[in-house]
Amino acid sequence: MTGTYAELQVTTNFTFLRGASHPGELVQAASALGLHAIAVTDRNTLAGVVRAHAAARETGMKLVVGARLDLVDAPGMLCLPRDRAAYGRLSRLLTIGRRRAPKGECEIGLADLLDHATGQTLIVLPPENSSPDRNFEESLVSLRRRIGNSVHLAASHLYRGDDRARIGQLAGIAGRAGTPLVATNDVHAHAYDRRRLADVLTCIREHCTIDEAGYRLAANAERHLKPATEMARLFRDHPDAVRRGVAIADACDFSLDELRYEYPDDEGSPGDTPDGALRRLTWEGAKTRYPDGVPDAAARQVEYELDLIAELDYAAYFLTVHDIVRFARSQNILCQGRGSAANSAVCYCLGITAVDPNRLDLLFERFVSAERNEPPDIDIDFEHERREEVIQYIYRKYGRERAGLAATVIHYRARSAVREVGKALGLSLDTVSALSSTVWGWRSGPLTEDHLREVGLDPEDDRLALTVGLAGELTGFPRHLSQHVGGFVITRGPLSEVVPITNAAMKDRTVIEWDKDDLDALGMLKIDVLGLGMLTCIRKGLDLLRSRYGIDYGLADIPDEDPAVYDMLCEADSIGVFQVESRAQMTMLPRLRPRSFYDLVIEVAIVRPGPIQGDMVHPYLRRRNGEETVEFPSDELRGVLEKTLGVPLFQEQAMKIAIVAAGFTPSEADRLRRAMATFRHVGTIGKFRDKLIEGMVRNDYERDFAERCFRQIEGFGDYGFPESHAASFALLVYVSAWLKCHYPEVFAAAILNSQPMGFYAPAQLVRDAREHGVPVRPADVNHSHWDCTLEEAESGARPCALRLGFRQIKGMAEESADAIVEARDRPARRSFADPADLRDRSGLPVAVLETLAGADAFGSTGRTRRQALWAVRALGPAPLPLFAGVGEGRPEPAVALPAMSRGEEVSQDYATIRMSLKDHPLALMRGKLAEERVTPAGHLVELDNGTRVAVAGLALVRQRPGTASGVIFITLEDETGIANLVVWPKTFERYRREVMAARLLKVGGELQREGIVIHVVARRMEDLTHRLRALAAGDDPLKPPLARTDEIARPSGEDRRSYPSRDFH
Amino acid sequence: MPADPAAESRALERLTGWCGCYSPWTAPGPAAGGTPDGSGAIWLDITGCDRLFGGEAALVDDLVERLGTAGYEARAAIADTPGAAWAVCRFATDDAARTKIVPCGGARRALAPLPAAALRLAPETAASLDSLGLRTVASLLGLPRGAIADRFGNEVATRLDAALGVVNEPIAPAAPATPYFARIDFAEPIGRAEQIAAALDRLLVDLIRDLVLGGRGARRLVLSLFEPADDLHRFVVGTGKPSRDAGHLAGLFAAPMETLETVYGIETMTLTATVTEPLGPRQATFHEEKAGGDADALLDRLSNRLGGGRVIRFAARESHIPERAVITTPAFDGPVNSPAAWPSAPRPIRLLAPPEPIEVVAPVPDDPPVMFRWRRVRRRVVRAEGPERIAPEWWLRPHDEDASGLRDYYRVEDQNGRRYWLYREGLYRPDVPPAWFLHGLFA
Repeated sequence: MTGTYAELQVTTNFTFLRGASHPGELVQAASALGLHAIAVTDRNTLAGVVRAHAAARETGMKLVVGARLDLVDAPGMLCLPRDRAAYGRLSRLLTIGRRRAPKGECEIGLADLLDHATGQTLIVLPPENSSPDRNFEESLVSLRRRIGNSVHLAASHLYRGDDRARIGQLAGIAGRAGTPLVATNDVHAHAYDRRRLADVLTCIREHCTIDEAGYRLAANAERHLKPATEMARLFRDHPDAVRRGVAIADACDFSLDELRYEYPDDEGSPGDTPDGALRRLTWEGAKTRYPDGVPDAAARQVEYELDLIAELDYAAYFLTVHDIVRFARSQNILCQGRGSAANSAVCYCLGITAVDPNRLDLLFERFVSAERNEPPDIDIDFEHERREEVIQYIYRKYGRERAGLAATVIHYRARSAVREVGKALGLSLDTVSALSSTVWGWRSGPLTEDHLREVGLDPEDDRLALTVGLAGELTGFPRHLSQHVGGFVITRGPLSEVVPITNAAMKDRTVIEWDKDDLDALGMLKIDVLGLGMLTCIRKGLDLLRSRYGIDYGLADIPDEDPAVYDMLCEADSIGVFQVESRAQMTMLPRLRPRSFYDLVIEVAIVRPGPIQGDMVHPYLRRRNGEETVEFPSDELRGVLEKTLGVPLFQEQAMKIAIVAAGFTPSEADRLRRAMATFRHVGTIGKFRDKLIEGMVRNDYERDFAERCFRQIEGFGDYGFPESHAASFALLVYVSAWLKCHYPEVFAAAILNSQPMGFYAPAQLVRDAREHGVPVRPADVNHSHWDCTLEEAESGARPCALRLGFRQIKGMAEESADAIVEARDRPARRSFADPADLRDRSGLPVAVLETLAGADAFGSTGRTRRQALWAVRALGPAPLPLFAGVGEGRPEPAVALPAMSRGEEVSQDYATIRMSLKDHPLALMRGKLAEERVTPAGHLVELDNGTRVAVAGLALVRQRPGTASGVIFITLEDETGIANLVVWPKTFERYRREVMAARLLKVGGELQREGIVIHVVARRMEDLTHRLRALAAGDDPLKPPLARTDEIARPSGEDRRSYPSRDFH
Repeated sequence: MPADPAAESRALERLTGWCGCYSPWTAPGPAAGGTPDGSGAIWLDITGCDRLFGGEAALVDDLVERLGTAGYEARAAIADTPGAAWAVCRFATDDAARTKIVPCGGARRALAPLPAAALRLAPETAASLDSLGLRTVASLLGLPRGAIADRFGNEVATRLDAALGVVNEPIAPAAPATPYFARIDFAEPIGRAEQIAAALDRLLVDLIRDLVLGGRGARRLVLSLFEPADDLHRFVVGTGKPSRDAGHLAGLFAAPMETLETVYGIETMTLTATVTEPLGPRQATFHEEKAGGDADALLDRLSNRLGGGRVIRFAARESHIPERAVITTPAFDGPVNSPAAWPSAPRPIRLLAPPEPIEVVAPVPDDPPVMFRWRRVRRRVVRAEGPERIAPEWWLRPHDEDASGLRDYYRVEDQNGRRYWLYREGLYRPDVPPAWFLHGLFA
């Protein structure tokens, strides 16, 4: 008895903690079972439908988009829109329900449903745990009366014992109510073997352990996809119910492909078309950009682009971006655009980017291409501290009906999965934390038995083994929706009819239910309004430059191609410089030796998974250094690869190769890129792989080159990095390097005042400034402000000294700092004589004074840290003015407090300002280290390649780049400099605890040098953290600050894949 | 092993009681969590006790050794003041000796080199002192008292004085755990049963008055009868529910006290409610309510006569597996189930343990049986419902394949109107003969 079957009740894992399969898995399973159609009906959400849609598009499966509506005052039902308009109504209905409820919840009533019921097929769900009673029948009858013949009744055969009787009863009700019966299987998983995970999800949801869960668990796991024959057998008494499902699926004619995206058209004045307005604004801008007259080449380019924009009807989009940028500029917020469209002459004229395309001569139509129907891509970076102003402007301007932030799907990561599954399986809290502590935040292999033994767990333990296995399954499940860092979707019509809009956890934010991959899959446009710490830093730097040195520069005015700047970068002297301050970039700089702006573009792009996985880095370096002749795989690729010496480095080049060399059509190449970036499926990737490699081989390219090209494209999928982004970033590299090179004190102050941002902690930034001759002065009640400031230097190489601000002091609030400055400098400057004077004049609580004393900020009053603390401890709250000077005046006998040792001073400095200007902790233990034959990091440069050495230092950064096959990089710091360690996986396994936990590390190994780049390959490691404790003498050991990019203290987060730099917020 | 603070504090209390064999005055020291290494402390006032052991040194040596035998790693110190003893015991780590004796008047000298934390200061205070470099008791001794008090309040000065013996440090010895206690002293020892029963009644009246005021009922009572020559009779009874019913409670003592034989007669009687639970005031009614009361009283009498664990009842345990869904529990201990805790699907009144294998004729793959043979009798199925599919509890048998323990249950009725509960184990597979069982009988 074969037949067809359409599964209309499907809960995916986007109904969090209920569905036990990914939407893609369900669609693929349905396709493998040969089902007629599959619906996706998550509870009050459309969050999973695009993923299902993408899978359906690939497998050719018919997908019915819908949702399960859980109503507050009526039975639940499946809602399946039959056309685009009905879909819009469903989306609006969910928006209404979600906007009136707190984040993550939805509140829909029957009245709301009735308002949006036109065009929907509704399938009412019978009560789950009781038999359908008179009330249920009555509400069904009433629904039928009010909505009409699109109301149906669902029935499922779930092996509860009474199924035949129950379905018979439902059939009776359906007959009486006039709501035809529809067979569903209430699917929660794509296959039977998700049962264990489904039970664990129930436990996580119910906050209980599997042993306590009892009847909250399902008695069996029959709610999975079943083949048509089986469904026909289960419903053999009601064959109509099965046929009806197929008919309903056929009647649902809506596909997500129909969502036509329309750009907002708010810009332009009345009587002016968007094209006309754009043309006018562009030429106005051109006059400012080229004060001496627009060069012919530029004018031709502008005309060409304007025509193309008009042809593709993109003017409204450019005007939208321009408006946002114009607002930012009016508020004096520094910003810069990037992306393929951003590096156009039009965007340069509009002020969206500061990179003059004529100066750059980019390789490609750095612009939208007419043949690909791809939306233009512009991301805009703003100062990270002020981005919120821009976001609120967009909400204000377009309203929440038309603008929303994209979502970010937060997934279970290895660590959270282990924690949740362990709790559900009843492991003790100690065991769970031991278990999760062994999981690196990095994408890493499965937990091995050795890992378990290492933390004292027994791998033979059944529950433990189950935990590890199920955690693996849970990893990658969506957990909740969060907001994207800044991806805005703005539409011409109501956005809520395209996708449901929900409240975000953050006040004043609304978020759509789809993430950037979903939007990309549907070809919907988003404008990324991103926060970039370096822009904050540069703006503060330019402000200081103006106020201290009277030099007034904007982003586009910095003197270009300054050899001193490139000299500095070639020396890898790049701490703090945008993008090129990472360990990997620092090793690349001396090898690549950038001498021009375009070199910086390459520098930014080359240390990325794409070129590394494609094995393109070394060939490029060899050719650049003249060790290999520059040749091209073919003449047709000469044009594509000329600027990069015949080696593809940028994403655009890889795509172009697919087109030129492998015979892809432009839209196929685009699909290839998307297949790599979003919802990866092994099946499709394999198909593209064969097509690319075989296509290239057929066209006489070497197979090895073809395979490398494919691997490179794979790498871009992780971390797509096109030339157009690199160009905008390169400008910020240059500007920040120029500041650091010529005004190190300005740069140091600006970057300290923009924290948190970048790779390094303030300690390293300050140290770097001092090494560049900047005198650094401690935070002091009589000299500091909240921000770090510049003061006249008495002598020395630099005209100004850096005065640390109160912001460096742990536990200080900005208001307290302002109160101090107010009391000290207004109306006229008068120094504080002692702590009591400060308290009386500023009115600050004693706790703040204690913080200041602890941070040694009373130095200018002639008090040591301990003396200041002693004095502060005796103070009560500020007396009322009338009593000022009364009491407390009793002279105290002088008290001789024990003097602090150097080690204690340094330890206290680290404890209060996370650095010490007095000494480096390692300097204080150098004697003992020297006895142990430990080489200072600064002396490594004098040693030969292959020398056996021992180094010791504070662990600054521990990283395991995804591109380095398990190798761990550790940076150690001592008083003479830094030592870069390479830890091979084998060594790591042996010294796992030391790597994970030690703050002061001693390492023995071999010196390895390549040019000026020096590594120590670790062989032995020893945790010396106890020596820091000894230094502190007291109970508090010195805790050296880790760099912000340390991956153990801060396991790399969810979003890392999505952004080309970790510099975003 | 995971830390269990509650158990630790219970163990410390037990140990404190045990230390009573060295001194009548014992008290648990500062809570275990408050000390740097998580260990606990016990105070003993051995004034006058040392002579029983042949001197102070012999006493502590014996104490530490016996604790060692019991598996405790113990250190002990004797000093003039509790504070000094605590400090020396914990912080004088200069040598390996596990016992230390500070000579009379030597507290100041013994304390001086110790860290300030040895004064049992609040952690914040200790941290502030530390940041000022005032790390030892000696550095504090040198400072003017007024300056210390201005900055740290009285805490530091008081603890210092107490440790030095300048002021007394009052420490409460381990107190009786319950306030519900009644006592009668007799002018002349009594011995006749009816005299004792009358005294018990008076004790109960006193005790119940206090229980009413406290809003509590007794779950466990201890009756102690003291004879003049240090001899003691003790009876313990328990109740299933908190009770303040004098008649009922007195009745519980009747059976155990049948065995009582006194030598000299009873001088003193005490009655302590060692375990109590909240019990709201009860409205007196015109007519005596009997519902439930008799059963409770009966259960109490049975339990006290037969032993607490022997009177049991059935309780629900949430499990889909039928034979795991019912457990037996001591009559009073387990939770009282709400109806929701019992399975909602129909279950037979009687389950067979173990299920009995049967031969079955049934259409494949999972339609109900038409015929089965149980205990050699063939039964024709005239009515059937099912299957109800129950999957095994995988977390208890993680190595089994999931489908292997799965059961399809059927409710069937034979030609004689008898109803049975049958199941087939495992999913139907054409190559394996299905295994069928009879698991229960409906009425």
